[in-house]
Amino acid sequence: MARVATVLLFVACLCGCSNEARYVGPTMPQTPPAGDGDPRIASYQSNLYQVSQGGRYFAWYGCSGCHADDVAGVRNLPDSLWRHGGGFAQVYGSIADRHGALSFGKRIPVEQLWQLTAYVRDLPHHTPEKRRRLEVDQKAEAVGPAWTGPQ
Amino acid sequence: MTPDQRRIDQLDATWHDAPGLWGFLTTVDHKRIAARYIVTALLLMFLAGMLALDMRWQLSVPENTRMSPQLFNESFSLHGSTMLFLVSVPVMEAMAIWLVPLMLGTRNLAFPRLGAFSFWLYLGGVLTLWIAHALDITPDLGWFEYPPLSGPSYSPGHRADIWAQMITFTEVAALAASVNVAATILKMRPPGMTLARMPVFLWAMLVSSIMTILSMPAIMLVTSMLIADRMVSTHFFAPASGGDVLLFQHLFWFFGHPEVYIIFIPATGFVSSIVETFSRRPLFGHSVLVLAIMAIGSLAFGLWVHHMFAVGLPRLGNDFYTAASMAIAVPAGLQIFCWIATMWSGRPWLATPMLWMLGFVSTFVIGGLSGVMTASAALDLQLTDTYFIVAHLHYVLVGGAMFPLFGAFCYWYPKATGRLMSEAWGKLAFVLIVGGFNLGFFPMHFLGLMGMPRRVYTYPEGMGWDLLNQVATAGSAITVMGGLVFVANALVSYWRGRPSGPNPWHGSTLEWAVPAPTPSWNFAYTPVVSSLTPMWDEGPLKVVDGIAIERREVLVTTVTDAAPIYRQKSAGPSIWPLVSALAVTAMFLGSIFTPWAIPIGAVPIGAALTGWFWPERGRAKTGPFAVRA
Amino acid sequence: MNSRSMALLGMVLLAGCSGVQSPLVPSGDQAGALHNLFWLMVVVCGGIYLLVIAGLAWGLMRVRRQSATTSDHTASDKRLDKGVWVAAAVIVAGLTVLIVGSFLADRALFATRGQSAMMVRVTGYQWWWRIEYRDPAGNRWIETANELHLPAGRTTRVQLGSADVIHSFWVPNVAGKLDLIPGRRNQLDLTPRREGWFRGQCAEFCGTQHAHMAFDVKVESPATFDAWLAGQGRNATTPAASERGQGVFAQNCAACHGIRGTLAYGRAGPDLTHIASRRSIAAGTLPMSRGGLQGWIAQPQALKPGTAMPTIPLSAADANAVAQYLAGLK
Repeated sequence: MARVATVLLFVACLCGCSNEARYVGPTMPQTPPAGDGDPRIASYQSNLYQVSQGGRYFAWYGCSGCHADDVAGVRNLPDSLWRHGGGFAQVYGSIADRHGALSFGKRIPVEQLWQLTAYVRDLPHHTPEKRRRLEVDQKAEAVGPAWTGPQ
Repeated sequence: MTPDQRRIDQLDATWHDAPGLWGFLTTVDHKRIAARYIVTALLLMFLAGMLALDMRWQLSVPENTRMSPQLFNESFSLHGSTMLFLVSVPVMEAMAIWLVPLMLGTRNLAFPRLGAFSFWLYLGGVLTLWIAHALDITPDLGWFEYPPLSGPSYSPGHRADIWAQMITFTEVAALAASVNVAATILKMRPPGMTLARMPVFLWAMLVSSIMTILSMPAIMLVTSMLIADRMVSTHFFAPASGGDVLLFQHLFWFFGHPEVYIIFIPATGFVSSIVETFSRRPLFGHSVLVLAIMAIGSLAFGLWVHHMFAVGLPRLGNDFYTAASMAIAVPAGLQIFCWIATMWSGRPWLATPMLWMLGFVSTFVIGGLSGVMTASAALDLQLTDTYFIVAHLHYVLVGGAMFPLFGAFCYWYPKATGRLMSEAWGKLAFVLIVGGFNLGFFPMHFLGLMGMPRRVYTYPEGMGWDLLNQVATAGSAITVMGGLVFVANALVSYWRGRPSGPNPWHGSTLEWAVPAPTPSWNFAYTPVVSSLTPMWDEGPLKVVDGIAIERREVLVTTVTDAAPIYRQKSAGPSIWPLVSALAVTAMFLGSIFTPWAIPIGAVPIGAALTGWFWPERGRAKTGPFAVRA
Repeated sequence: MNSRSMALLGMVLLAGCSGVQSPLVPSGDQAGALHNLFWLMVVVCGGIYLLVIAGLAWGLMRVRRQSATTSDHTASDKRLDKGVWVAAAVIVAGLTVLIVGSFLADRALFATRGQSAMMVRVTGYQWWWRIEYRDPAGNRWIETANELHLPAGRTTRVQLGSADVIHSFWVPNVAGKLDLIPGRRNQLDLTPRREGWFRGQCAEFCGTQHAHMAFDVKVESPATFDAWLAGQGRNATTPAASERGQGVFAQNCAACHGIRGTLAYGRAGPDLTHIASRRSIAAGTLPMSRGGLQGWIAQPQALKPGTAMPTIPLSAADANAVAQYLAGLK
């Protein structure tokens, strides 16, 4: 009994199992977040699968081209300094509407924008070692026209 | 010598456990601990079997959408991890924990509290994996989660960490149990049981314990490296920074291949005991059997690359591992010869345990021969990662380990419970399980040869795989039904079986000398052995007396000649194994989430171990630390 | 086994024997060598199994003249001692035959034939294949995806690499499998003989959609192959009627997909320059057709749940246009 309780205590510290939930299947049509209190935010921002998918699309849509780890100023995403606010809806708006001619809002599907927003807002919580480690695994993934083949 | 009532009462008083829950938590009685292991393992076998039925139902129809790919991947990962880490190895250890002291004429294992600790830690591993499953954080990358798929980039979250730590739990438990069994077999044999007079069962348990000790470090290392990669961003398996993905595979399989022999070798011990009893003659080829077990145990460490033939390693190296993998068929084949020779020159008695031995020979040899086919580095390039391998691994694990286990269960059930299982229901369960298994898994050889890969949650229409998949599902369902009949037989016989007496099968080894069910103290006197089959010798069992019965004491003897050398105090019931296991559990679980769990968790572990090892000797009466008058 | 069940078994086996993804229907040198080795193994191993079962049956059923007691075993044990040597000799002999056979087959598989080999580079992704052919004429790699063409009677040397996790390249009718391992370059020779369509599949668990990571293999005469490759090497042409579709594509799809001859040069997903010339969509998940393309684009997560291709919401007109455009990319 004591054993079961101990285990349950630790697992409860996972803040519920939704962190690890992984839904695969047909997606429902999505709309942009309705402000920072939108109840759907939690199932993206605290879901590790959605955040990591956002990470992959971050590379595939070419975001890591400009938003590399060592840039300074406004392009540095992990520095927790948000020019237009750090709430979910605000970061979403920055990605979708404030990239000028790239017009991500028109080119990237809504669900992927949610995932990208969750990832970008999660970046400040990653240590530089962790980001470098993730980058290292994904080095061979094709990103843009400069790709020359697997490592 | 028949013990008088005063002796029995004294032994009861010395060796009994406290009543109720406290007794349950503090017991160090090897029989109770083994019973818990076996019940837990059988329950997990049932759960993993249900997962398998679920998967088989999914695969009966092409392009089936009943199970999502995520659920299917979780199912096969959970099925494999449970069967290999939580059922097969622990149940063999449990049979050793239960039978080794009984076959050695002694009252407990060498390290009683360590035995209790190993069970609690194993239970921690079970709960780690299955509570995670209940909470939908099931590991989903197979039972050997290769990086980079299990690395930080492609497996976000904690699923892979839960898998890796479950392994740490079970491997520490296995290490504890193996050390215990090996020490008992080497140092606590009855006078007269020289190594030459040690039954094959004990050789099997000794060799598999030593193999466990030697192979375990590799997997603990590699799962810790994986957790380190994921948690603290080391680069062990990151090729772009100089790491190597294949390092994981080498280290994993260096453990993984001996592991399957750690599962198989105890089964050869079961088979040897049962074939001897039911052929009604001493085993033929005792030396061959023992040498074969030792040969398998050592060769098993030189085969692991056969799991990596498709990886692209240098061809000449692969050919070496082909030869080694095929060579291990020589000792295995000689064992089969010796068992068949024993039956041939004896008077076979086809009771249910013996039927399971026939099921073993006819099924395991198919698995062994399909193993010889896959041992070829060249042919393996067509066969590996297909349903041919699924068929092979089930034939050797189910045929080679589970069938002997079921036979052993029927064989030693009267010793544990004092009742016989029903022969009629036992034979029915045998037919359903063996027939259903062959019907279910033989078609998988063909499926692999028809191109069906493994670990696929569905397959296209028009490949020609439909019918065989349905046959496989039907066979699996029949097997599960047979399993239910088997379990029902065991349960019903517990209350309504015919009383068996101490030796219903006229067995030859020492465990048949004690009453059934066995009292907590096992033997009233220490037996003396002068042959391999002490219960078949002329006259009553010779015994020797001299170890104390007012306190817990066991006899320690020399390694080769089993000459008595001293009397050893045997640890009594204690709460410290449970407390230590809880402390270790806390540290292991915490280290899934943060590396700080290791230094912080070491503190309660240190406290628990201090309690465990607190000396119980009286205070000194002389010298600087003397008790002052 | 009665004759009816033998017939059923035969039918079942034959069903697979017409297989397009079967090691038992060798259509190439490598698969042929392994096929011969396989049957050698079946004969030797089958023989050993029959010996074991016969021994077991004999051991159980032999007539025993008197009840055996312990002392009676010395005589039979002497005979059985000799039997141990015989058994060991039989096992060693059988294994020697198999080890030598395996060694020779291995040599045959990897014998150097690569002097004038066609070079192909295969890169595994979650859950598709990038396939590039070395252009024999120019100095470039011609890129396609998910469909492999091979010239019959010639050796093609496939270089295997992975962009993310471990995969495995397996065309059982032509050769054994070899893994695609990140950080490592593996090389596999394929020498197909028989023309026709075959199927390959990923054979190392690589994540959620491992089950749907297949590829079509077409073995054709060298002349047909050369013509096909030349066609693949040309850029895509866009007829005027497909301009709306091309516009939708550039807006929504070009971030990940590339079409040579247009401004779309995305590399995260398969190259679509000549997609309509392929036999299937999404790495063997569904057959190629205009409706299939439209259905795939509309709901990839329904057809291949967990795939990396997002569900792109398009109006009906846009969806029609882009499907028409892609269906014209032959």
